[in-house]
Amino acid sequence: MLRKTFKIPDMTCTNCAMKIESLEDDLDGVQEINASYHKLEMVIEYDEATLNEEQIIAAVRKKGYTAIPA
Amino acid sequence: MSKEKQPSIDPVVIVTLGILLVAIAVAMIAFPSDSNSINIAADSGLISQIIVAFFTGLTTGGLSCLAVQGGLLASSLARQIEQDYVEQTAQNKKKQKASIRTNSALPIALFLLSKLVAYTLLGALLGWLGSYLTFSPMTRALLAIGIFMVGNALRMFNVHPIFRYFSIEPPKFITRYIRKTAKGTDTATPLFLGFLTVFIPCGVTQAMMATALGTGSMAMGAVLMFAFTLGTSPVFFIVAYLTTELGAKLEKFFMRFVAVLVLILGFVTLDSGLNLMGSPLSLQNLTRNWFPSQAEANPVADSAQGEIILNVQNGGYFPATLKVPAGQDFTLNLVTDQTYSCARDFVIPALNFYKLLPDTGTVQVTIPAQKAGSTIFFTCSMGMYTGQIVFE
Repeated sequence: MLRKTFKIPDMTCTNCAMKIESLEDDLDGVQEINASYHKLEMVIEYDEATLNEEQIIAAVRKKGYTAIPA
Repeated sequence: MSKEKQPSIDPVVIVTLGILLVAIAVAMIAFPSDSNSINIAADSGLISQIIVAFFTGLTTGGLSCLAVQGGLLASSLARQIEQDYVEQTAQNKKKQKASIRTNSALPIALFLLSKLVAYTLLGALLGWLGSYLTFSPMTRALLAIGIFMVGNALRMFNVHPIFRYFSIEPPKFITRYIRKTAKGTDTATPLFLGFLTVFIPCGVTQAMMATALGTGSMAMGAVLMFAFTLGTSPVFFIVAYLTTELGAKLEKFFMRFVAVLVLILGFVTLDSGLNLMGSPLSLQNLTRNWFPSQAEANPVADSAQGEIILNVQNGGYFPATLKVPAGQDFTLNLVTDQTYSCARDFVIPALNFYKLLPDTGTVQVTIPAQKAGSTIFFTCSMGMYTGQIVFE
């Protein structure tokens, strides 16, 4: 399992964090996502054999946000 | 296949129109043509609060909460409609069309109904909690609420990262639980989901919740939240059938508008808090002193006899400025005549005086001697109607 932090600069409210956390259900290989509007970031724990950084960034973009590796 | 799903839009329009009609009916009740009707509607202050709450919900509240609440509902609905479709493909096609229509409209109606009930109950609870705040804590609460609202507005304007902390993040276990619930396909799911939205309020809803707390009344808190949530319903209903992406775009587009509204509400609340403190720095007290010609003492006031009359009316206090001789006690006669507004809740912060006046009658208050040039401010308990006693 790999743990990575991404900056999400375009979050506008706490609900955006919840939307991003819903990737836990949508994305295979994700163990846990903790997104924080206060910090404008998400910490994702995932299986690097199933998922990679580009796929995560693309999935976040699909939710309407920009993920930048911290 | 797409042909089968298309008709599901129709009930959305129908029910949206239904909700809009209910919303208009509520607005008409709130704006009775006979403004002299003697009931709670005569309280112009409370009614204007309800109207503001309703239109805040209608214009901005719904949009600002769409990102998650609308998305959750949409995902729940999508699953339900899909399931309905699969279950009914074996049946007669004509019957199927009608059945899908009914089933797709029902979950939204249930969700909104449940949300309305939940937020009304929450409003009652907040108002009830507020009623336990005695005068001084209520003043402090109003100031805190005002600061919270202004902070939230500055957050929306993205003024500084520090203001992001004015937004309350719901605990992870709650958001996760709500998300899991949204996956259900039974009728109870949207009902339950609607109720759960009280745990994920958006910034505007939080501001409205703070206002409900500030009313200090169970009924008023409930009515305020009911009006606000009812106002959000049409937008929610429409967006439930649109993509979540559109919701997010709309939210970003309207964010500044929402911020302006919350900023105004925040300043109004802060101003009420300042009035309740008897501060000369409140907007009314400042402007009254800037434009003294508007606040001349009423000639009815007979200060020579050591008595002065203050007419307490539904629209405020008349005259707003009382001029009395310094250095002697005098009696303030508070005269009400079918007064039902919050002006009845009379407060003189500097003297720590508070009294709920009868709707019709006279109440005498002895004002102790004050130095020449000093001013004592009076206000209603909500900090909306104000006035001053100037000692000369």
